[in-house]
Amino acid sequence: MKRIGIFVCHCGINIAGVIDVKRAAEELSSYPGVEFSTDYIYMCSEPGQILVRDTIREKKLDGVVVAACSPTLHELTFRTASRLAGLNPYQCEIANIREQCSWVHADKEKAFQKALKIIKSTIEKVKYNESLEPISVPVNRRALVIGGGIAGIQAALDIANSGYETLLVERQPSIGGHMIQLSETFPTLDCSQCILTPKMVEAGQHPKIKLFTYSEIEEIGGYIGNFKVKIRKKARSIDEEACTGCGECMVACPVRNEPQIQPIPKYSEQIEPGELKILDRIMAAYAPTNPGVPGKEMLIQILQDVNLEYHYLPDYTLKYISERLQLPLSVVYHVATFYTAFSLKPRGEHLIRVCMGTACHARGSPRVLEELERQLEIPRGETTPDLQFTLETVNCLGCCALGPVVMVDSNYHSITANKVGGLLKKYSKS
Amino acid sequence: MSRLNSIKELDKLSKEILSGKDPKRKCITVCGGTGCIAYGSPNVVDAFKKELKQQKLEDKVDILVTGCHGFCERGPLVVIRPEGIFYQRIKPENIHEIIKDTVIDGKILDHLLYTDPITGEKIVYEHEVPFYKKQVRLVFGNNGFIEPTSITDYIGIGGYSALAKVLSGMTPEKVIDIVKKSGLRGRGGGGFPTGVKWESCRKAEGDVRYVLCNADEGDPGAYMDRSVLEGNPHSVLEGMIIGAYAIGSHEGYIYVRQEYPLAVKHFGIALEKTREYGLLGKNILGSGFDFDITINRGGGAFVCGESTALMASIEGNPGEPRAKHVHTVEKGLWDRPSNLNNVETWANVPLIINKGWEWYSKIGTEKSKGTKIFSLVGKVNNTGLVEIPMGMTLREVVYDIGGGIRGGKNFKAVQTGGPSGGVIPESLLDLPVDFERLTEAGSMMGSGGMIVMDDSNCMVDIAKYFINFLKDESCGKCTPCRQGLIQMHQILTDICQGQGVIEDLALLDKLCWIVSETSLCQLGATAPNPVLTTIRYFRDEYQAHIIDRKCPGGVCKELIHYFVDEERCVSLGHGCGACRRSCPQQAISGEKNQLHRIDQNKCNKCGICLDTCKFEAIILE
Repeated sequence: MKRIGIFVCHCGINIAGVIDVKRAAEELSSYPGVEFSTDYIYMCSEPGQILVRDTIREKKLDGVVVAACSPTLHELTFRTASRLAGLNPYQCEIANIREQCSWVHADKEKAFQKALKIIKSTIEKVKYNESLEPISVPVNRRALVIGGGIAGIQAALDIANSGYETLLVERQPSIGGHMIQLSETFPTLDCSQCILTPKMVEAGQHPKIKLFTYSEIEEIGGYIGNFKVKIRKKARSIDEEACTGCGECMVACPVRNEPQIQPIPKYSEQIEPGELKILDRIMAAYAPTNPGVPGKEMLIQILQDVNLEYHYLPDYTLKYISERLQLPLSVVYHVATFYTAFSLKPRGEHLIRVCMGTACHARGSPRVLEELERQLEIPRGETTPDLQFTLETVNCLGCCALGPVVMVDSNYHSITANKVGGLLKKYSKS
Repeated sequence: MSRLNSIKELDKLSKEILSGKDPKRKCITVCGGTGCIAYGSPNVVDAFKKELKQQKLEDKVDILVTGCHGFCERGPLVVIRPEGIFYQRIKPENIHEIIKDTVIDGKILDHLLYTDPITGEKIVYEHEVPFYKKQVRLVFGNNGFIEPTSITDYIGIGGYSALAKVLSGMTPEKVIDIVKKSGLRGRGGGGFPTGVKWESCRKAEGDVRYVLCNADEGDPGAYMDRSVLEGNPHSVLEGMIIGAYAIGSHEGYIYVRQEYPLAVKHFGIALEKTREYGLLGKNILGSGFDFDITINRGGGAFVCGESTALMASIEGNPGEPRAKHVHTVEKGLWDRPSNLNNVETWANVPLIINKGWEWYSKIGTEKSKGTKIFSLVGKVNNTGLVEIPMGMTLREVVYDIGGGIRGGKNFKAVQTGGPSGGVIPESLLDLPVDFERLTEAGSMMGSGGMIVMDDSNCMVDIAKYFINFLKDESCGKCTPCRQGLIQMHQILTDICQGQGVIEDLALLDKLCWIVSETSLCQLGATAPNPVLTTIRYFRDEYQAHIIDRKCPGGVCKELIHYFVDEERCVSLGHGCGACRRSCPQQAISGEKNQLHRIDQNKCNKCGICLDTCKFEAIILE
């Protein structure tokens, strides 16, 4: 077993502001293989590096994990520190708990757990690390860009303009990619053609760029600096030298390339007949003139009724409604998720709605809500695991005189925080 | 009932109903508004029915389950007519004595009467109750006299006579002229002159026009539209038919919140009945005018109260507003001319037609005419719906009608206009309530929420509450509103958590300006009002949060602490231990008869101890 040392960096408040670094160091000290674990305010500072160096010597460490920022910044710093302490630099690894962890997460506990995971997986890696010695190999100074979309074209141009020979491989007969399908681009609303076509021409005419269109990568071998790539150039059956790209042959060819749009699946066939009956009954109420096919404007009303029937909107009902109303499923989802009345998740047997209206707020409804959350052990908007209660908030129940008001199913209750227990007891099964 | 084919037939029916009424007949009215239902009025109604059956009085005494009376604070409400004896907080066990003593023997039951909290006097009759005394209940008053779903009750009090008047020879232009002259302005909040809107919709190009009713009452703390729809749906319906005639529309929609199932139900019944009676549908009252209405249930999105979002929602789309370069009166629903008015506006229309614009324009102030219903809620003694003439001062509303502040605390502010409105401090209590004056004070009329706050409310917390509300309700289409509100909420949260810096105030000010100037619709444009007004009138509270790290209202958790008053706990409560038992964190310790203490490290500041202690031995600092 290796003797690994863990060094958790605060990075000022960059990491420590979100992640409890002291607790992390403490919890990791008992992790298998860990010999030593500590934290320090700036590990990359001189005293920090000395701490790493001295600890390696003192504790006779043969593996080091520094939990800090991105390896692009200080991997070299700590590998050097390890080397100076007599440890092979490749036995030192960086666990990045800053960029994609402390910087981006607001929930401190979840961020802490994530940081622990990152550090632990780095420890496991160090366990397998072998001592390495750097060697020199010659490098082939040519670049290969795979994919001739806007990103690929730009990448090829940038590399070629820096003076390197570049190969650009594209599967389709022409470079250009998906961008050409867009009408305009964010945020300037320029037309995408106006951006794309000059670049396509430039890539095509660039002396340093070699285009491989209608070609695919078959095999990639080798390693950084010395890749070996096999490209299949598909037969065009056209003399490329002579072709001007006029497109006359396409028009003349009697065989048409029909667009391959998959037929919309029939959701009605996947739904139980009983359920189908319920949904058809709901929709029939909104289709007085044309039986079974309500107008598209009836979508919200239909969803209201389905929501009443099931207490939420099961996924299949949305699909079926989209089929019957001949509306794209995305539109149905847009509406179903826009309005607060609809839920896509199953709700509990009892729906508890806490009024958050101004009158209720002024009389203390936040305290009632917090007490409900505490006793039910769920946050607002969630359902208890036993599917007994769903806790929701509502903007105003319109009976402000009773505030704070809680509505359970269809009953109104005027309650304060200390009466929450009694209320729940009244409705729970046991 | 057969269809009414002419105005004469309607007149005849109305006379029949009136002559069938015995003015001396006993009638027990029970309020069936949502507030009273929550207090248990359905049980009261059942008990009355049972008792009347037992006493064999079914044929002699009527029971009328009405819509909301407005005085929700004292529900369930019972009024014995024709005398108008007013009983409040009635329970099923009171029914026997009410029937026996009051209905049969005519005796007044003192213990069921309302006691004036100021004078301590018992009040016998409904019209003498101070809550009602100062009100002018034009739109709302009929709620207590009719059964909401009964069309004959409505016709019996003169309903549909305005429609008859319009259809018996008034030209649409004449109707618009009357509404214009009356000075009626949109009750939904904007206050746009109703007649002018009608006129532009009538003149807009197109064959098909729509008449829409906005009943998506989204402002938290306002529920007058709900009560009008639940209690007197025909008044709204009649207004809409008249409006449709004036505008030249044959198709109407009403957009109701799905949170108001009773309103949907009552309006639905009203639609069915009016169709049956020939007051809606083809050839209304034999006049040749066609008009019909569809109910549309909203999906619960605040932004759908905005006109273009509401129309998008009726079309079955997500309720996202559009920029209003072209007004909805020209291109609204399905790009056709559409006239949208709020529930209360429509309910005002029959009144104006019946009593004339001269009469109507005498009520109110110079630029704001008529009455407005407010929901007077929050920390006031008499919560409920109040209808007042425009121009009444806030002081009269809060103190004379509202009966002052609960629990003898001090008035701090009143919030009007919902999330788009602002707070008005004590120094402006003598402000007359009308469209202009409220806007001058930085707030707005809105749909009529009036939330009274006392010194245990934190104004920073209130601002944060509204911004949080609007942040959640922002549809996300335009960036200033979507992102600006998130940032404002973050700053306010920091201040509430004691992490604010004094520069935050200037930053908030700047953000408010940007959001209000650059948002697509009025939701964003008015969103900064709660922040701006709280900073304007309660800067000291913001400073207390930022500089002293204290919450004067005792609301912001990070800035408050609960303590036990040693004196009171031992000498008054004898260490009763109620707080210790109720504490969810087990943060309170102490032996029986001994002083109790709160462990500040364990305390999660839920405040349950404060609610539980009967001896006021818990102090909040």
